[in-house]
Amino acid sequence: MAEPLLAIKDLKTYFISKDMEVRAVDGIDINVNERQIVCIVGESGCGKSMTSLSIMRLVPQPRGKIVGGEVKFAGRDLLKLTEKQMTDVRGNDISMIFQEPMTALNPVLTIGEQITEVLLRHRNLTKREAMAKAVEMLQFVGVPRAAEIVHEYPHQLSGGLRQRVMIAMAMVCEPKLLIADEPTTALDVTIQAQVLELMKKMRNDFNTAIILITHDLGVVADMADHVVVMYAGQVVESVNADDLFAAPLHPYTKALMESIPSLEEEKETLYSIPGTVPDAAAYPVGCRFADRCPIKQPSCYESMPLLREVKPGHLVRCDLV
Amino acid sequence: MGTYITRRLLGMIPMLFFITVAVFLMMHAAPGNAFNSIMNPAIKDPQALIASLEAQNFLNKPLWWQYFHWIGLFVTGNWGFSFAQHAPVIDLVGPAIQNTLILSVMAEIITLAIGIPLGVLQSRKPYSGFDYTTSVVSFILFSVPYFIFAILLIYLFAIHLRIFPAQGAVGTGPNAGSLLDHIYHALLPALSISLVSLAFYSRNTRGSMLEVSRKDYVRTAYAKGLMEGKVFSKHVLRNALIPLITFFGLDIGNLVGGAVILEGLFSYQGMGLLTISAVNNRDYNVIMATTIIFAVAVLLGNLLADILYAVVDPRIRYN
Repeated sequence: MAEPLLAIKDLKTYFISKDMEVRAVDGIDINVNERQIVCIVGESGCGKSMTSLSIMRLVPQPRGKIVGGEVKFAGRDLLKLTEKQMTDVRGNDISMIFQEPMTALNPVLTIGEQITEVLLRHRNLTKREAMAKAVEMLQFVGVPRAAEIVHEYPHQLSGGLRQRVMIAMAMVCEPKLLIADEPTTALDVTIQAQVLELMKKMRNDFNTAIILITHDLGVVADMADHVVVMYAGQVVESVNADDLFAAPLHPYTKALMESIPSLEEEKETLYSIPGTVPDAAAYPVGCRFADRCPIKQPSCYESMPLLREVKPGHLVRCDLV
Repeated sequence: MGTYITRRLLGMIPMLFFITVAVFLMMHAAPGNAFNSIMNPAIKDPQALIASLEAQNFLNKPLWWQYFHWIGLFVTGNWGFSFAQHAPVIDLVGPAIQNTLILSVMAEIITLAIGIPLGVLQSRKPYSGFDYTTSVVSFILFSVPYFIFAILLIYLFAIHLRIFPAQGAVGTGPNAGSLLDHIYHALLPALSISLVSLAFYSRNTRGSMLEVSRKDYVRTAYAKGLMEGKVFSKHVLRNALIPLITFFGLDIGNLVGGAVILEGLFSYQGMGLLTISAVNNRDYNVIMATTIIFAVAVLLGNLLADILYAVVDPRIRYN
């Protein structure tokens, strides 16, 4: 098999302060192949966003710290690059779009200024050429009146348009990997579908691999080639999308699937997983899901289960399956 | 924008009218007038002289009559005569405004040129040794009233080192009255005000920079691959300066106001000193003139701040 485009190995990102250590990302392994759409799923606080910020090396300073592991991208370990080398990667080889299109654009700069800025940083273009390219890219992502919108400011655009602008900005240097951190959460449903469609088009036309972070299993079903389920800073299940929906193995993944309302069944109340996520500053020794797990055994509390391959290509962190 | 400015300027007229009425009434409510204190033993009948001077200056007429008489002349450019200094008000106010402007513009330049860069530097490395030491110094400067600095500066530079004048707005000798001479005299008083307000600006700049540097769009800027310096200069600084415009607008309003105590300490012949002596002497015409100038300056300063908001922040448009 070919070398994956991105190979994350045992990545650990902690928030360290005087009297505590919050293990936001606690030893995760994720591979992303070229042109692949990998979805990272999990509930709030499970470390999805911190994983993506760690790849970009944009973990909030000064407390956030990548304490271990390896992020191999196209053969280079990003964690070993100097900050200067890393800025050459950001926006050029790897781009990122964020959840809130309302706040992710600078309110005092025009759309054009914000897009051309990326090109002027990474490509040897004049301002005029960069502006032409920005307009072209905006047209490509389906922004109407692109030639006028480059002179407008973010507050003049709707949420959906702003997210398109974000995508245009992220894709303008044709990166090999796009990280999208809940790009549709803040949008209404019809716009969500359009934005997801646009991201697929990006993959198809630019051969860009995508890491899509979401907590919406509907989005996962629609988009993913491969799915990584995260819980409490760890990967608990990793498998291709078809197999995941056909037969989820980890009790947490099963519980997530349970929680999706179905059109066929009539239920009085929606299923929800009992209990809460353990405190990231004081994880238990054993399985982190044990307290909430329907099939738990006393042995689950004794030692941390390893992520093991139960079937070819299907990794699960549970000793009971 | 043009119509907005015109509307705002027209709106100032009724406001100024009410200000003049209020000041006029307050002034006349204070006991005594400019002539009450005549006590020259050579004058045989001071009461008769006072009565005749009052009559000459219409002080025996009803108040409303005096007000309309005064404002009628004022709007035609006749600002009247100073009772105490025996000179046309315009001739007193002109040089006073000039002196005060030199002083306050210098103070503003020192304040902005040091205060904002200092705040920016502190925010680049928050909670570092540099940040802590300069912050402590800022707090000390900000907590001490400016007249204390004035006294210290006079002691150090005028009395001890003898390199700057202790008082006056102009010197004597061949260069007296030149711009350089003005600047030379204004430096110590300007520094006294600046030490306090630059501390204020640096604290606010630092706080505003830190707040903006946590915004999502700053993270976006980093995600684009921009260098830290560029992120700060292009994305953080511009947004961080917006709230400082409010303070700047207030400063503009105070430019011609003059600092009363400071001008007193330095015997600096500016608007503050002129106003204080006029108030003490019940010199009505001078008080009315300086009050109106202050009021106009404050109103224009606010207008300028509002215009500046629209210039730097595209979300603010006046239509």
